[in-house]
Amino acid sequence: MTLADPLGPQIRALFAALDHAGDLEAGPSSGDCRLVSGEAGREELGTRVRFALRMAGGCVQAVRFRAYGCPHTLATCEWLARTLEGRPSGALNPGSPLDWARQLDVPAAKLGRLLVIEDALQAALARQ
Amino acid sequence: MTVAAPVYLDYAATTPVDPRVAQAMSECLAPSGSFGNPASQHSYGRAARERVEQARGQVAQLLGTAASRLVFTSGATESNNLAILGTARAAAAAAAGKCGHIITARTEHKAVLDPCRRLEQDGWRVTYLTPDSRGLIDPAQVRAALSRDTVLVSIMHANNEIGVLQDIEAIGSHCRERDVPLHVDAAQSAGKVDIDLAHWPVELLSVTAHKLYGPKGIGALYVSPGRRARLQPLIFGGGHERGLRSGTLPVHQIVGFGLACELCSEERTSEARHLEALRARLWQALSAIGDVLLNGHPTQRVAGILNVSFPGVEGESLLLGLPELALSTGSACNSDSDEPSYVLRALGRDTELAQSSLRFSLGRFSTERDVDEAANAVRREVERLRAVAP
Repeated sequence: MTLADPLGPQIRALFAALDHAGDLEAGPSSGDCRLVSGEAGREELGTRVRFALRMAGGCVQAVRFRAYGCPHTLATCEWLARTLEGRPSGALNPGSPLDWARQLDVPAAKLGRLLVIEDALQAALARQ
Repeated sequence: MTVAAPVYLDYAATTPVDPRVAQAMSECLAPSGSFGNPASQHSYGRAARERVEQARGQVAQLLGTAASRLVFTSGATESNNLAILGTARAAAAAAAGKCGHIITARTEHKAVLDPCRRLEQDGWRVTYLTPDSRGLIDPAQVRAALSRDTVLVSIMHANNEIGVLQDIEAIGSHCRERDVPLHVDAAQSAGKVDIDLAHWPVELLSVTAHKLYGPKGIGALYVSPGRRARLQPLIFGGGHERGLRSGTLPVHQIVGFGLACELCSEERTSEARHLEALRARLWQALSAIGDVLLNGHPTQRVAGILNVSFPGVEGESLLLGLPELALSTGSACNSDSDEPSYVLRALGRDTELAQSSLRFSLGRFSTERDVDEAANAVRREVERLRAVAP
């Protein structure tokens, strides 16, 4: 992030490839396959995020999100989805919005939006 | 491999300098050009002064007024400050320091709103009129807001975000009935629509060169006869511009401003037709995306500006997804903020719609190909972001 480019290359790259945007099917029914989801925010406040995670075989098999918001919001959702996929379900601590902001070079003015992402993710994880 | 330059659709933020203007400015800056100080009495100074007065005449012709009524400034922001603060200070001085009342609109540019807010801090009363849902101020609103201590009404001609044109003649006639001066910020309309100060009931009018294919850093304030004595300068030091704006006149910028105005005088009618056709083509293509809303009055507007909301799509994300286009979510002067447009909020658009808007502003060098490329890119990105939305 620079004065000339307040977004930074990482945010731009993630925003350009929102590969994890979408929904999850429940998947083939098996004993330990579960689909959990959580949502937070409102469009009229600038940010709304929904996460869906498919847990199977003791790990996060797939993550998808849907989001309305600024580029930092969409890029952070994509980054979290990539980060969480494949992790053991017992070690899912995604870190805090401050950690994400540091990792992705998100400006302090956008921290409120990352808090909405955290709320959506926590709502999903609370259901696992 | 070279990367194509983005299609420029931000003429309301600033226009490129017309090559003919750049050539004239460049000649002026050459060692053989008019580099003298126009205030000097020797031949270099006289030559520079001649160029300045020629340019003043060119600006005056565009505005339908006499050259002697124009004060050169650094641009519309300074012109607006001089009109508002200069009028207020002169009025207070004439009333033994008593603060008065000013009328303006919620949709004005920050260069009008901020001086008004500054005056409020000093004890002035300011009425901020709310436009209708199409962005228009009803002249009757102005008449109703006028009070015994009103010293100025400041209403812009064309809005910088939505392009809507106010009925300046009707507003001004109400002001004249009550002997209240009307200031008009014409930064977005000068050179694009007819301005006839010889007949308009307007006492002060701000223009800038960089919105009409001239250079940045130069503008003018029209001051009607009799108003000059009731305007206090903001900048002191030499008494230039008949005491209203001190500072050495930037001859090359003024020459560029003058020629830019002359070119607008000559080409305005055909250019407006060209822009109206392009704007219609763009709107037709954008509306075909589905679920899009035009912001502002559909016909009472300058030709080049089209402001559109795309429900379900956040404006900043939409803008980032369009690297092949150079455009804005709103006023360029406000674009560092991620707050929704206060202009669209004033029209009654909700926050989500205000956040989902793009301002397309077309100009002299825009082409049908530009418009088609823009419409295709916007369709692609709106569809992508809508597919991502919850």
